[in-house]
Amino acid sequence: MDKSHIRNFSIIAHIDHGKSTLADRILEYTGAVSERESKDQLLDSMDIERERGITIKLNTASLHYTYNGEDYNLNLIDTPGHVDFTYEVSRSLAACEGAILIVDATQGIEAQTLANMYLAMENDLTIIPVINKIDLPNADPEKVKNEIIKVFGYKEEDILLVSAKTGEGVKELLDHIVEVVPSPKGNKEEKLQMLVFDSIFDSYRGVVVSVRVVNGTVRIGDTIEMMSNGKTYDVVEITRNTPKEEKLKELAAGEVGFISAAIKDISDISVGDTITNYKDPASSKLPGYKPMKSMVFCGLFPIESNKFEDLREALQKLKLNDASLEFSPETSTALGFGFRCGFLGLLHMDVIKERITREFNIDIITTAPSVIYEVVMTNGDLLYIDAPSKMPEVTKIKEIREPFIKTNIFTPSEYIGPIMELCQEKRGNYVNMEYIDESRVNIHYEIPLSEVVYDFFDKLKSFTKGYASFDYELIGYLPSNLVKMDILLNGEIIDALSIIVHKDFAYHRGKSVVEHLKDAIPRQLFEVPIQAAIGHKIIARSTVKALRKDVLAKCYGGDVTRKRKLLEKQKEGKKKMKQIGSVELPQEAFMSVLSDDYDE
Amino acid sequence: MYKSIYIHIPFCHNICSYCDFCKMFYNKNLVDKYLKELKNEYESLKEDNVIDTIYIGGGTPSSLSMDELDKLFEIIKDVKLSSNYEFTFEINPEDIDEELLIKLKDNRVNRISIGIETINEKFYKFLNRYNNKDILKEKIKLCKKYFSNINIDLMYAFPKETIDDLKNDLDFFKSLDVEHISTYSLIIEDNTVIGNKNTLPIAEELDRKMYDYIIKYLEKIGYKHYEISNFSKEGYESIHNLTYWNNEHYLGIGLGASGYINNYRYTNTRSINKYLDGNYIYEKEKVSTRQKEEYELILGLRKINGVNKKDFFNKYGKQIEDEFDIINLIGKKLLEDNLGYIRIPKDKLYIENQILINFIGDIDEKD
Repeated sequence: MDKSHIRNFSIIAHIDHGKSTLADRILEYTGAVSERESKDQLLDSMDIERERGITIKLNTASLHYTYNGEDYNLNLIDTPGHVDFTYEVSRSLAACEGAILIVDATQGIEAQTLANMYLAMENDLTIIPVINKIDLPNADPEKVKNEIIKVFGYKEEDILLVSAKTGEGVKELLDHIVEVVPSPKGNKEEKLQMLVFDSIFDSYRGVVVSVRVVNGTVRIGDTIEMMSNGKTYDVVEITRNTPKEEKLKELAAGEVGFISAAIKDISDISVGDTITNYKDPASSKLPGYKPMKSMVFCGLFPIESNKFEDLREALQKLKLNDASLEFSPETSTALGFGFRCGFLGLLHMDVIKERITREFNIDIITTAPSVIYEVVMTNGDLLYIDAPSKMPEVTKIKEIREPFIKTNIFTPSEYIGPIMELCQEKRGNYVNMEYIDESRVNIHYEIPLSEVVYDFFDKLKSFTKGYASFDYELIGYLPSNLVKMDILLNGEIIDALSIIVHKDFAYHRGKSVVEHLKDAIPRQLFEVPIQAAIGHKIIARSTVKALRKDVLAKCYGGDVTRKRKLLEKQKEGKKKMKQIGSVELPQEAFMSVLSDDYDE
Repeated sequence: MYKSIYIHIPFCHNICSYCDFCKMFYNKNLVDKYLKELKNEYESLKEDNVIDTIYIGGGTPSSLSMDELDKLFEIIKDVKLSSNYEFTFEINPEDIDEELLIKLKDNRVNRISIGIETINEKFYKFLNRYNNKDILKEKIKLCKKYFSNINIDLMYAFPKETIDDLKNDLDFFKSLDVEHISTYSLIIEDNTVIGNKNTLPIAEELDRKMYDYIIKYLEKIGYKHYEISNFSKEGYESIHNLTYWNNEHYLGIGLGASGYINNYRYTNTRSINKYLDGNYIYEKEKVSTRQKEEYELILGLRKINGVNKKDFFNKYGKQIEDEFDIINLIGKKLLEDNLGYIRIPKDKLYIENQILINFIGDIDEKD
């Protein structure tokens, strides 16, 4: 198709503002799927995406649309909605010329609306602001319109009203996309340059690469070259999803599609790479992506130590289409062999953990999430510490710095008080507050990232009855008065339980951690003393009492099968725990070191 | 070949708040149908061998009327009993009268088990069970006129119960001077009245203290602690219950009953409608040789004496220490080797499950 008739666009939104529903309605409207075929939220294909209502992996659909009697090809490139997946959003945005910015008519602008909007602007996209859910009784499109005008500087006539649920306004939106989103630039006669923006592993086809052709044309049988590593392959198949798979002979400048080339080794493909024609190569690579830095780190350890290699394989497979996942082998005295993994954020971490358990069937223990600390040594060396157990001796440390973030907390103004209290508790420094309208504000605090990684989201939700939304940007490293706190079980330091804490909060944290550990560790055959220590000084202690009763007092009517079943269940439960020395620890124990809500 | 029979009578005039056994309110019409079906079930399973023990439990077997009891005993009237047989019938204290006792005696019953549980008025309402100390005393006296082997049940660990409360119950039990005492702590099960009310169990420490107190008390007055929750005077151990703990075959009939025959363990349905339709079995499982060996320990270790190593070898042709992690557990003081028996140390009896899970094969390893 002539590229003047191609439009490449994404939909961006705060979570739950209706992105996937709008995508479905567009698919239906363009005849890509009949209403009957449409499973809810067609583009979200992973189980976890459906269950959590979030889109994690991007997906692309090529749609036919007729405007003024002419055929157009609309490529809808889906993006994840959550702050942790900014990297993926920027990947898909780089393959587009336009973006639909959805704002919920009942909620207004939220933290991630803002974050996604900035990303789209960085990518020079034409943005179409859309107010969704206008069918709901509590919708207030006028108020939301004013917010968009005030915060983003749009004019009233730029803003479209849509109900993704009923389909109202969808035709106008599609027309508007054709009218205002620029057709792709680039020349199909030029030398081939394709941007890799995603890849998946298919057991029959090998690695399937999602590409946006920027210049030139790729055809079946062409020999292609990965410009970052020089690896070459012959193109076996070119397809696109409408969203049903459609086989193509070629893909030309401006178009989006999938390429299979019998690529066996997943590590040959990196997202952001440029693919060119081996026989007639382009002289330069496309700009690619700024690599995202991992913000949150934790150790992943298989509960059964013989699953170490399986875990490595699982992480490699996950990394294939999630370049932001980092991992390297780690050894813990307590937990044995595992991996230190870096994630973009907490949700990213949860999703990966869940996929390992669910898709790869490996039971894992995860240690408490940590951030990267910068440690200035007395000899002037600078160390980056991603695990508390790697912290050097106190006497050799001159200064410890930790990452700080700046918050965007969107909230109805009645919750300002509780939110400020929460931020203070988390060692935050107040910056300022912007009024979006009379009743809503955006609160800015600078807070250590380490304080946000545990229960900040949960607490924010409960403090504001779920009305506040939260997003953050990293602002850099600042010196803090930090110390390493060790946890001892039965008198022995358990390295996987060590944490870094602020000195002023250490006593309180220590108390809270030992109490939570006491509750998290089931009673064992013997008493287990728990201690929190800084250096050699014990700052808090507690005890898990010895188990006193675990018996079926009455076994009636000879119901022996029931007794056996209970024992089997008990044994299965035990298997989910990690044996450390003579103590058995459940997963919760590793998370309880993050607690700080002990009441004295 | 089985040598023991268990018969379940699920009917009760009164439902106790903690009971999760298979039970329902007494209903004349239903009892008639039930007894007919019980006969059918028995006829379909009976063998011609001599029987050592019969146990009729419930529910409340004593809730049946005289003519219903006739029908019940009619079912098993042809059973040949061995010379030292034990035939137990469970009785609710309120049902005790001379007519009932004579009826039982006439029908070969030679042991009765009475569910007293507690004589502490504080707990009557909570348990939905009512006793009167003085009447009870008279009734037990009456029982003794006809029976020389009597068991009474003692329950403990009620919410807010103290050691003093327990001592009062024990003092009363002592005064009754019966041959056998069965004790068990209150377990708050789901789908019981107290379970639905989210009743909280007493502290684990106190529960354990009570258990230890009971053992000390009863041993001091001459009862032998021969099984985790059972005590008897010398020679009055329950032969029927020992069939279970010795991993021997037994026939179980009636609603919700379970049994072990021809190397199959089975549990009957708890649905009265299914049962009356002749669909007795809820689940049935063939027991592999390995599982038999496991059961030998799971069940045998309930006995204070434990499992006889020689008996194990004679039964399976293998040394018990080669089959299970016995040596290691002895090293950890979780088991003892005492005069040819593997047993659980006394101070570890109350955490028996922690020891038993070491003998359970993985679910996916079952053959």
